[in-house]
Amino acid sequence: MTISKKIVLIGHFGVGKTSLIRRFVENTFTEDYKVTIGVHISKRTINISENEDISLIIWDLEGQDDIKKTRPSYLLGTNGFIYVFDLTRPVTFEHLNDELAFLKENFSTVPVKVVGNKVDLVNKIYLKEHSEQFDNVVDYFVSAKTGSRVEKLFAKLAQDLIQK
Amino acid sequence: MNQDEKLNIIKDILLTDEREFVSSIEKKIQILENTINKQKELSEKVNPIIDSKLNNFVKDIPETLGPTITSTLKAEIKNSQDAVVEALFPIMGKMIKRYVQHEMKMLSEKINNQVNKTFSFKRFFRRAKSKAAGVSESDLILQDHNNAKIEQIIVIEKGSGLLLAEYSKNKMADEDMVAGMLTAIKSFVEDAFIKEDQSLQYIEYDLYHIHIQNFSSFYIAVVISGVYNVIFKDDLEDELLEFADKHKIAKLLQNKPLLSKKLEEFFKNDDI
Repeated sequence: MTISKKIVLIGHFGVGKTSLIRRFVENTFTEDYKVTIGVHISKRTINISENEDISLIIWDLEGQDDIKKTRPSYLLGTNGFIYVFDLTRPVTFEHLNDELAFLKENFSTVPVKVVGNKVDLVNKIYLKEHSEQFDNVVDYFVSAKTGSRVEKLFAKLAQDLIQK
Repeated sequence: MNQDEKLNIIKDILLTDEREFVSSIEKKIQILENTINKQKELSEKVNPIIDSKLNNFVKDIPETLGPTITSTLKAEIKNSQDAVVEALFPIMGKMIKRYVQHEMKMLSEKINNQVNKTFSFKRFFRRAKSKAAGVSESDLILQDHNNAKIEQIIVIEKGSGLLLAEYSKNKMADEDMVAGMLTAIKSFVEDAFIKEDQSLQYIEYDLYHIHIQNFSSFYIAVVISGVYNVIFKDDLEDELLEFADKHKIAKLLQNKPLLSKKLEEFFKNDDI
C-alpha cells in the first residue's frame, strides 16, 4: 500500500531548498543557481516497511526572507515542513525562532524539521560558535552538495508522518 | 630602260610570291583584329566553347564539388544549429500556418456545404440544438467530426493537492505531480483574482483541455482531447455531479483503490 504526504520546503532565497530536493529525488547536484519562481513539485516514493510505501509529494516554494510572505494557499494541507537555512549566511537564520513560532502557531500539528544546509562549507568551530542559536532548534546539518544526511532527513520525516 | 626600272623588274620577278604571302597574312591579321575587338564576333566564336565547358562543369558538379559542398554544409549546420533554426523557424512557421489555413478553409467549405445543402430532420434538430445551446451549427458539425474524449480523470484534495483517485485510458503523466501542479496553478490564479467564490474552471494545454469541477473538499480534473464546447462542458458537468452524488464520493475520499475503480466503471464508456 502507498500513502501520499505533502512535504513543503520553506526558507530564504538561495539556502539550497531546490538542491536538497534534487539530491533526494534525483541524487544530483549542480553549482548553478536558478531561482525558483512560484512552486515546483517533485515526488519520490520510499519504502517504510514490508508492505508499506510512502509517496512524498515535495513542494519546493520560492524563497522568502519572511515566512509570512509565503502564499498561504501553498501551505494548505501540508503534512510536513522542512525549514531550510544556509549555515554560511547568518541573515538566513537570524529570525529562525520567529519563523518557527509562526509555523507552530498556524500549523501546530504538522511536524517541522529544521535544517542547516551547506555544512560542507563550515567547520566544527563555526558550529560551536553558533551553538546558542542552533542547539535544541536544528534537527540536521546537511549538505546537498555531498549528500550528507539528506537521505536521513527525509527518511526521519517520513517515519514521523507514518507514526502520526 | 634605266637602272631603276631594271631593278624593279627584277624585284617583281623575285618577290611576287613573298608579296602575296604578306598580303594574305595582313588579311588574316585584320580578320583576327576584327574578331577580338568586336564583341559580337568574338562571342560567336567563343560562346560555343564556353557553353560546352560550362555544360560539362555543371554535369560534373555532383561528382567533383558535391562531396565538398555537402561536408561544408553539414559542418556549417552542425556548428550553427541555433542560427539555422532561427532562420528556418519563420519560414517553416509560415508554411505550416498556410497549410493549416488551407486545411481549415477546406473543412469550413465542407461544413458550409453540409449546412447549406442538407435539408433533413437531422439539420432541423441540429439547428434547434444550436439555438438552444448558443453554439453555432458549424461547431456542432465540427464536434461530430472530432468528438471530445476523456483521456484522464483525477480526483484531487483541495489545499494539499494530494491525489485521491485517478482513471486514465493512456497513462499521460505522473498523476501525483499533475495533481500537485494543478493545485498550485489553481491556488495561484485564485489568489491573484481575489474576488470571493470564484475558482479556476478550465485550462487549455496544447491539444488538451483540462476541465475542473470544484466540490467542497476536493475537485475533479478531467483531461479532454477533441472539441471541448459549451454542450460538452454541460454534459460533462452533469455526469460529474451525477457521479459524485451516486457514489457519495465524499465518503470514499480516503479509499483510493475503491474510488479509482468507481471512476473507471463510470467513465470507461465516455460517450458523453
